[in-house]
Amino acid sequence: MPAVKIKRASSTVDMTAMCDVAFLLLTFFILTAQFRSQDAATIETPSSISGIKVPDSDIMTIGLGRDGKVYFGIDNAQNRIAMLDNIAAAKGLTFTNNEKKEFSLMSNFGLPINQLKSYLSLPKEQQAKVKQPGIPTDSTGAAPTNELKDWVFNARKANNGLRIALKGDNLAKFPEFKNVLATLQAQNINKFNLITGTEAPPAGWKAD
Amino acid sequence: MAEINTGGGGGKHDGGKVRSKKASTRVDMTPMVDLGFLLITFFILATTLSKPSSMTLNVPDKTKTEETEPIKASNVMTIFLGKDNKAHYIFGKAANEDPEVKTVGYGYEFRQALQENAKKVGGEKFVVVIKPTKLSTYKNMVDVLDEMAITKLKRYALVDQLTADEKKLLKDKAKLDT
Repeated sequence: MPAVKIKRASSTVDMTAMCDVAFLLLTFFILTAQFRSQDAATIETPSSISGIKVPDSDIMTIGLGRDGKVYFGIDNAQNRIAMLDNIAAAKGLTFTNNEKKEFSLMSNFGLPINQLKSYLSLPKEQQAKVKQPGIPTDSTGAAPTNELKDWVFNARKANNGLRIALKGDNLAKFPEFKNVLATLQAQNINKFNLITGTEAPPAGWKAD
Repeated sequence: MAEINTGGGGGKHDGGKVRSKKASTRVDMTPMVDLGFLLITFFILATTLSKPSSMTLNVPDKTKTEETEPIKASNVMTIFLGKDNKAHYIFGKAANEDPEVKTVGYGYEFRQALQENAKKVGGEKFVVVIKPTKLSTYKNMVDVLDEMAITKLKRYALVDQLTADEKKLLKDKAKLDT
């Protein structure tokens, strides 16, 4: 009688299911992805219990860095070009098509207007190295040296439906925030959003 | 590879006929899975997952002045945001009375102080005036506004100017050089 051969179980693992899952997740992430844009400065926002989400489109972001530098950005590339055209006309500057294109790719920036042109003509690698000094503001909000005022005005001229979001850093000092606030108030903008991180409300707290 | 060859393959069988080895129809999915997860990892890292939330801030119109009824000073809690994540608060006016300056840290301590005082004064009459000093940070201000939302106090104002009396008071009692 021949010895009974025990049938060995195959050690092959069927990867098809795993592959399905992997690609399903991949598809999901690709479709929902919103790429992290290259920001002029990293800003760590404080957190709040507020559950209101920041709108996706038509948004103007005023950043306030930890060292008090002010950054500015609007969301749409077309609007950015229109804004640049507006401000160039107001300030008597001209930008070439290349510079405009370059500008339309920047999600935010913190440069005085007179340094903008030379910054835009720099190659990409060097742009990253430039320390952006921030947009000039002041406490009255309406002085001619306040350039944030001009940006806000021209951005709203380019797109009237812009909502304003303020993104301040944890360590930014209050006076700098006050300058931004004064700039907005001087243009009669009395309602805006403060961008914060999300934090769980205390136990038992309910929104009304 | 996730596969270990086990069977003998096309060896000699009882009949003695030599059969050609049949190619397996199974495709090895391992590299494909590897690639899939690699891309997933990339997309997770390159995207922003949690969207930031925002709190709305409404400030009064500066261009027009509205006549309002004066508020009783003893119902007003004035909060000064000082340095090193500390807040100081007083009741009443800094000018004529000699108010007691209390110091609290942000968070639980602060919330408790707000709730106790709101109860003492009576919810409807209680008014909070928030005065950030130049020593305070943006985070302090957001924290305080957040506390207002948590304690559901509706009557508060953000004032960015300190009176001379308040400056003196803070310098004397809280050692703050504003």
